[in-house]
Amino acid sequence: MSITSINFARASDLLRFDSSSRQIDNTQQQLLQVQQEISTGNRINDPSDDPGNASIIIGLQQTSVLQTQYLANVQQSQSQLNQADSSLNGLNSLVTQATTIASQSVGSDVTAAQRQANAQVVASLYNQTLSIANTQFEGSYIFGGSRSTQQPYVSVAGGVQFVGSTQVLQNTANTDTNLDFQISATSVFGRMNGVNGSADLTPALTPTTRISDLRGASGNGVHLGTIQIGNGTTTKSVDLSNADTIQDVVNDINNAAVGNVTASIQGNHLLLSTTGADNITVTDAGSGTAAADLGIGQQTGAGAGVAVTGTSVQPNVTALTPISALNDGAGIDTTHGLIITNGQKSATLNFSSATTVGDLLNQINASGTDVRAQVNAAGTGIDILNTIQGTSLTIGENGGTTAADLGVRSFSASTALSSLNGGRGVGTASNGGADFQITRSDGTSFSVSIAGATTVQDVINDINTASGGVGITASFATTGNGIVLTDTAGGGGTPSVTALNASTAAVDLGLTTPARGNVITGADVNATPPSGLFADLSALETALNNNDQAGITRAAAALQNDQQQLTATRGKVGAQTQELQSLQTSLQTQSTSTQALIAQIQGADMPSTISKFTQLQTALQASLEVAAQGMNLSLMNFLS
Amino acid sequence: MSLIGALNTGQSALAASQAAIQVIGNNISNSGNADYTRQATETTPGPEQQIQTGVFVGTGVEISSIKRQIDDALESRLRGSISDTQSAQTTQQWLSQVQSVFNALGTNNLSTSMSSFFNSWSTLANTPQDMGQRQVVLQQGQALAQQFTAVRQQLTALGTSVSSDLSDAVKTADTLASQIASLNGQIVTASNGGTGSPNALLDQRDAALKQLSQLMNVTTQAQPDGSVSVYVGSQPLVTANVSNGVAIKNTDVNGVATPTVVFKSNGGTMPINGSGQLGGLSDMQARITGVVDQVDSLAHNLIYEVNQVYSGGQGLQGFTSVTATNSASDTTKSLADPASGLKFTPTNGSFVLHVTDPTTGQSTSTLVQVNLTGAAGDTTLDSLTASLNAIPGVKATDNGGQLQISATTPGQQLTFSQDSSGTLAAVGVNTFFTGTDASNIAVNQVVSTQPQLLAAAQNGDPGDNQTAVAIAGLASQPISGLGGASLNDNYQSMINGIATQAATAQSNAQAAQSVQDTLQSQRDSISGVSMDEEAVNLMKQQQAYQGAARLINVINQLMQSIISMTYP
Repeated sequence: MSITSINFARASDLLRFDSSSRQIDNTQQQLLQVQQEISTGNRINDPSDDPGNASIIIGLQQTSVLQTQYLANVQQSQSQLNQADSSLNGLNSLVTQATTIASQSVGSDVTAAQRQANAQVVASLYNQTLSIANTQFEGSYIFGGSRSTQQPYVSVAGGVQFVGSTQVLQNTANTDTNLDFQISATSVFGRMNGVNGSADLTPALTPTTRISDLRGASGNGVHLGTIQIGNGTTTKSVDLSNADTIQDVVNDINNAAVGNVTASIQGNHLLLSTTGADNITVTDAGSGTAAADLGIGQQTGAGAGVAVTGTSVQPNVTALTPISALNDGAGIDTTHGLIITNGQKSATLNFSSATTVGDLLNQINASGTDVRAQVNAAGTGIDILNTIQGTSLTIGENGGTTAADLGVRSFSASTALSSLNGGRGVGTASNGGADFQITRSDGTSFSVSIAGATTVQDVINDINTASGGVGITASFATTGNGIVLTDTAGGGGTPSVTALNASTAAVDLGLTTPARGNVITGADVNATPPSGLFADLSALETALNNNDQAGITRAAAALQNDQQQLTATRGKVGAQTQELQSLQTSLQTQSTSTQALIAQIQGADMPSTISKFTQLQTALQASLEVAAQGMNLSLMNFLS
Repeated sequence: MSLIGALNTGQSALAASQAAIQVIGNNISNSGNADYTRQATETTPGPEQQIQTGVFVGTGVEISSIKRQIDDALESRLRGSISDTQSAQTTQQWLSQVQSVFNALGTNNLSTSMSSFFNSWSTLANTPQDMGQRQVVLQQGQALAQQFTAVRQQLTALGTSVSSDLSDAVKTADTLASQIASLNGQIVTASNGGTGSPNALLDQRDAALKQLSQLMNVTTQAQPDGSVSVYVGSQPLVTANVSNGVAIKNTDVNGVATPTVVFKSNGGTMPINGSGQLGGLSDMQARITGVVDQVDSLAHNLIYEVNQVYSGGQGLQGFTSVTATNSASDTTKSLADPASGLKFTPTNGSFVLHVTDPTTGQSTSTLVQVNLTGAAGDTTLDSLTASLNAIPGVKATDNGGQLQISATTPGQQLTFSQDSSGTLAAVGVNTFFTGTDASNIAVNQVVSTQPQLLAAAQNGDPGDNQTAVAIAGLASQPISGLGGASLNDNYQSMINGIATQAATAQSNAQAAQSVQDTLQSQRDSISGVSMDEEAVNLMKQQQAYQGAARLINVINQLMQSIISMTYP
């Protein structure tokens, strides 16, 4: 309210009229403001009413809307996880039924017919399990991961194929908090068995290797920033923050032109060399870690003209990695290729036309063997996994070293005997005697004991060094997998292997296969066995049908493992649901208090606003009255 | 010393009283006229006659002047305060309109639209393959784009109104300046070179000056001949009976034609310095332009940020062919060079182009490098096209600066990922929004007609939601284009800026009004007519008149006596 000084020498009529009218005007304006506050209930109706608090209100409103969205996401996640939980519950009772049937089917009092009848029940459980695996929630398959648009498990020859994704979806449940709202199918139905690449394929750097594909010298990635490069006399700052590839880094360093220091790529690391007497130092500016991450940190110079050889920046294997760069630039054998056999399907692949890891993976995935080849999670190698529950997978060489180079050969000379035959190992003669006898083509024979052997190579050595073993050479297959016995005795017959002392070693090592000519090519006894809930149910069904008690017992044990896995997963889902529940409660509380805060800041203080209104009303009435009466006063009225 | 002399004295008194009563009448009749200046009759005793050595007798009364009761210095300060008040009020009124365009505390504004848009992505992340929710995202995107264009249109319309008000006000100012010049001429003539006081003309000129000061702050300098010279700043607007005139000239400010107030005579910029309505309006033009720029910048950054994340995502299916929505005017210039004609600036980086066969799910990935280090050999649209063309199964053209990428093998599709350079967003390939600022922001037609193309995925799986999650979180991410502020922060500070300006304008207007009221009251006190005073004066003059009439009567009797003595 503007207050006009009333300290005047004269009070002209104009002055009296004007000041009355201004007074009334002012009061009216304030009344309007108060009236608006009362009718909207808000003290702040336009940001200009209180810019500072209006800004806070806008911020709080944005927060409030976000909280509502988070709450909706949390509720959606809960619904989806509840659906998953009820599926797991159903699965659990299915598996319980299956194990009960298995235990009831063991024993001498159960007839083959009863077992076959039970097999029918298990078959039905199998189908129910498949149906649960393809449960949908609001149009998406809950066990499909990031491929939730299609059925994750499909029935194929030999078993059930997993075509879903193991990557589970997340959504934002709170500020900076993303939570899973799916559970991984493999944690429920069993992981994809296969060959997890044993070779570290960490490639050499190429000019186009992206910084984002480096694990960095310390394994925590490369965080680009500014580094300081010195040569003993001058030090320059090099800003690497715009670099996208390792070549960009090299260019940035070279463009800085510190003395005669030049950077280059060498294998999996950087090299800073000099043609002059530069005493090279490389340090990080401020709290940056770029130099350390790039493996070229050099606090004090190593001497004039001495190069800085960086440590490995650990490039990841990606689909874009050239095959020639794998194994620190050594590459792999691309000409011979490998043989993949999955159940009844087999493919022989060579990678002579592939240039990148992506091409190689594509070729394997398109081989029709139902395997899924992918770069492992650590980015150091490749895995070839069997997508089918119910078949066995083997990967062998095709005359070269391709599979071994990639670390995906499923069976090799270095394989431990204990892991053969699906982990059952290799049996030996219980009396400590010879395990098998090898008969040469000339009809003579010698016996071999593998007691003490731990790897396949040990067995090969045992055969080759067995007394009287001249004429038979054992080696590991160069095509396919297995022990190969080559007969050089030159007799008219064919070589053969027979067990001794009730030892199962010959069978367990795959050596009882008939010879072809003078060569016995042993069987692949290290196939990755069928695994997973479907495979185990299927195994139970088969064992029941075949009246195979040992098989039933094995299947039952496997199913119990599956059930433990299920229970663990259910526990995890429970924990997730609980976390969501507590988040929901906390979000609701937050949302309520945000709303309360908005109301508190924006809302009008009604009692005081209304009393202000009354006060202004009185003031206005008084002003009007004074104006009306005061204006009538004039000397003119008294003159006659 | 004679009776006739005395008679003359009486007559002078009668004449003086009559004139004074007429002035009183004039005062009373104009008592309600705010521009009227109270007048007072000033009298002096008539010249004395020496009737004997050293003895003088008065000869009555003479009217020396009829004077306006005015404090010129106060008038000048009042005019200054009027121009301050007008400037502040104009600013306040327009700013409150600007503020209401944003409806910032209402339920439907840019902020709520942005929230709804980003939240729709968050909801989509729950069911990324859901076509219904995809439509919702598209609708929210359209609503946000419309909100931006509507806000911008309203602001531009306000700008147009301000311009038209400005041009009206300039015409008024020009008329007033001419009027003052013409009044100057009349006053000089009427006052006989400054000796007289043509009060009505002076009042008219003061009124015109007051009106002019509503439009701009002027200073005056009274001249001896009775005219006033009027200055804006230190430059003359009116000298004697000549006005230099006021006009509008469109000058180029950063490539935008901006109306400026100039002298009509020489086209020189008038230094109104934000004073009066003209100042307020000129100032408002700049402010509205500033707000439009802020809205544009917010939209620009929203478009680019959303597109940058979006362009590295994939839809439920890929493209058989995709045409860029932004075109380069010079395909041989570096993509980061403004001369390339791109409105968004990509950085050094790379992206991956995947050629996918949907039937087998097989995809071939190729890294496409975008070198933008500022050195020779930086990527241009031509070189980008060439490197895309080198990818087997891909055909790229940049006809007319518009990149088009197609899969050459029938049935194969293209998808994009991992764009660290922002190139795809800059040229407008696989984008959600098209346009460059609030005037032309829209949802990409290709996506809005084919929701299955909406990119919610990041790993190439159709059911993936990582791009949706990333976009949903964008509103609060710091953005380098906004100086590290987030979209939400930027909006908030824009509203806060407008609100603070509006609040300041409001308190400025109140303060200026208060000063003006005080000065006006002082002016009214000095120059306003008081009826009571006039009544008293009237009585005084009545008495004087009656007294003079009595004097004449007595002299008449005395003369009768003498005449009857002569002619009995």
